[in-house]
Amino acid sequence: MSDSIKSLLFAALLCLACSLLLTAASSGLRGFQQQNIALDKQKNILKSVGLIDPYSTRDRSAIEALYAAKIKSFWVDEAGCIITGQQQSRGDLPIYLYLEKDDVAAYVIPIDSRGLWGRIMGYLALQNDGSTISGFTVYKHSETPGLGGEIEQRWFQRNFVGKKIAKGSAREALDSEAQLNYVDGISGATLTGKLLSAGIRDTLLDYEPVSVQFRSHQAYCTQN
Amino acid sequence: MKFTRSTPFKAVREALWQTNPISKQILGICSALAVTVQLKTAIVMALALTFVVAFSNLSISLMRGLIPRNIRIIVEVAVIATLVIVADEFLKAFLYDISKQLSVFVGLIITNCIVMGRAETFAMSHPPLASFMDGIANGLGYGSVLIGVAFIRELLGAGKLLGFSVMPAFLYEAGYQNNGIMLLAPGAFIAIGLFVWLQHSILKD
Repeated sequence: MSDSIKSLLFAALLCLACSLLLTAASSGLRGFQQQNIALDKQKNILKSVGLIDPYSTRDRSAIEALYAAKIKSFWVDEAGCIITGQQQSRGDLPIYLYLEKDDVAAYVIPIDSRGLWGRIMGYLALQNDGSTISGFTVYKHSETPGLGGEIEQRWFQRNFVGKKIAKGSAREALDSEAQLNYVDGISGATLTGKLLSAGIRDTLLDYEPVSVQFRSHQAYCTQN
Repeated sequence: MKFTRSTPFKAVREALWQTNPISKQILGICSALAVTVQLKTAIVMALALTFVVAFSNLSISLMRGLIPRNIRIIVEVAVIATLVIVADEFLKAFLYDISKQLSVFVGLIITNCIVMGRAETFAMSHPPLASFMDGIANGLGYGSVLIGVAFIRELLGAGKLLGFSVMPAFLYEAGYQNNGIMLLAPGAFIAIGLFVWLQHSILKD
């Protein structure tokens, strides 16, 4: 057998062995990984409404119990009204309601924004007045650690609390009143900031019908 | 043969001190800076790297007679990459929170010079058991510096070890403050630099 045939054969066998090992590891561990991801989502929703302290560690059953008690997930239609049941049309959006004794204290919308190196996924929680942000968390991103990656730090997410969502161009002058609608960027993470801002803005526009409902009625409407 | 004279023990001792990958060979610095903010992540990273370098050394040493010379490096990279991905999948399954903190740095073990270096210079020319022990030794050498740096950084930067507050409250009340620069990369550079200096002064060759 010539040298190049031997090399090709060896390479092919090595690729086969490596792919078998990787596939076995990936599919064997997928169950555990998905459990972790689901738990992480629940933790992030609870964090965004302030129900758990980001630095405390609670075990899995405590988090699942708290989530089951306080958070309910729904779909909203294009008019901003809650649908009872599953998604009915393609324009329907997911939403999570934080319920305290049957009253909505806050509603949580999922953020799925374009980032610099991948998608940025998180949750934005808004109070039942429809305009004030009560929390923001990021649970998945591919941004540069230390720069854009700082969006997952508490200090950055805390900037959002208490700010108000509003329509308007970002180029308006920053007087003290408009400060209420702005969050500081991160030095060295210009693109991450720009892309995340655009992503949050788009999502807020999508969910504007829901926010309008909350602004006028302090409660959600249900689809008839 | 006494244990302390055996090859495995000598290999470990050498990698911990005379030829320590980080402080003597100055390899693997990038991840040493990034993951040493906390002791917990440093320990997990050291274990992950030790696993990868030991088993990659073992696999490559087992195959060393069969690997064609012209695709040698690519074969080494393929083996290392496979092991790193397997390690990453295990971390995501069983140590999810830590794997999120380590983020890309587990994947970057593939590019860590220590792993490739040992595969090329040792595993290709030594029998499997010696290669495996060499991998463990270098992993421990790397781990020892990582844990040392993380110990200093977490203690001085956050007043904690493994997440538990260890700085007594009376120090804070007397005016002591956590050293913020220890939580950033420059602090890590300084700590590693001091380790290198310490070791070179003691070794003096």
